[in-house]
Amino acid sequence: MTEARPEPADERLVAAARAGDDQAFAALVSRHKARVFGMAARFARDAQEIEDLAQEIFLRAYRKLGAFHGAAPFEHWLSRVAVRCCYDRLRKRRREGVRVPLEELELPAAPDPGAEAAREVLEYGLSRLKPAERLVITLLELEERSVREIAELTGWSEGNVKVRAHRARQALKKVLEESHAW
Amino acid sequence: MPGDDRLERLFAAARAARPDTARAQYGFETRLLARLRVEREPSALWAAWTWRLIPAFAALALALGVWNYAALPGPDNDPAAAIAADFDRELVAYFTGK
Repeated sequence: MTEARPEPADERLVAAARAGDDQAFAALVSRHKARVFGMAARFARDAQEIEDLAQEIFLRAYRKLGAFHGAAPFEHWLSRVAVRCCYDRLRKRRREGVRVPLEELELPAAPDPGAEAAREVLEYGLSRLKPAERLVITLLELEERSVREIAELTGWSEGNVKVRAHRARQALKKVLEESHAW
Repeated sequence: MPGDDRLERLFAAARAARPDTARAQYGFETRLLARLRVEREPSALWAAWTWRLIPAFAALALALGVWNYAALPGPDNDPAAAIAADFDRELVAYFTGK
């Protein structure tokens, strides 16, 4: 009877990838891509942008593999890279003035909106917030991360995260109320 | 507050609307490694660095231009110009007898 070989630890795959083993990096990607795609989907507008963002996250992780020292699990380190990438994407989009137009929305008629309609309304509102506000709302309310986790992911202090989250909620409420989008 | 309740309901509904990325994930490793190989090619590296160095080269060109302009000798303290002017005067004096 053949015994199933245990999967190599992330740290071993990272070491192999740093030594030039592309298959080791592919194994890392395969192991963590679902989580990265999930996060990218919260910030991207369509399937193409999800793919672009996911590629950007893994390429940046690959270039920075030398900075991974194993102090925290690889998954946490990758999450920080992913958050940074998503934040950069939001800032780039802000510079380009990309916003979801109100006319494209299918506004929910019911008081409790359906999931897809809610996502569209939220996308409309979030696209009008500052990048840091959108980031903190997305991580806190949609990804359901704790304040401490967000502080670790972004490098902000916990107090700073709380303040930003409060301001972001106020800004989002104002945008939605002014647009009559809900 | 009523607005907060509505916001909470909106968040709760949006949390349930996670797009299905299963199809996009199919073959992702292959596409990513292909892009990685393209980025590693010397020509791609050269092109990337050329673009990145454009601001540095532009700043260098500007600095050289400023330095060149500042270092240009004025008409009064250029020894070559003074010698040429003296020579012209001597020549004119010789031919005119003045």
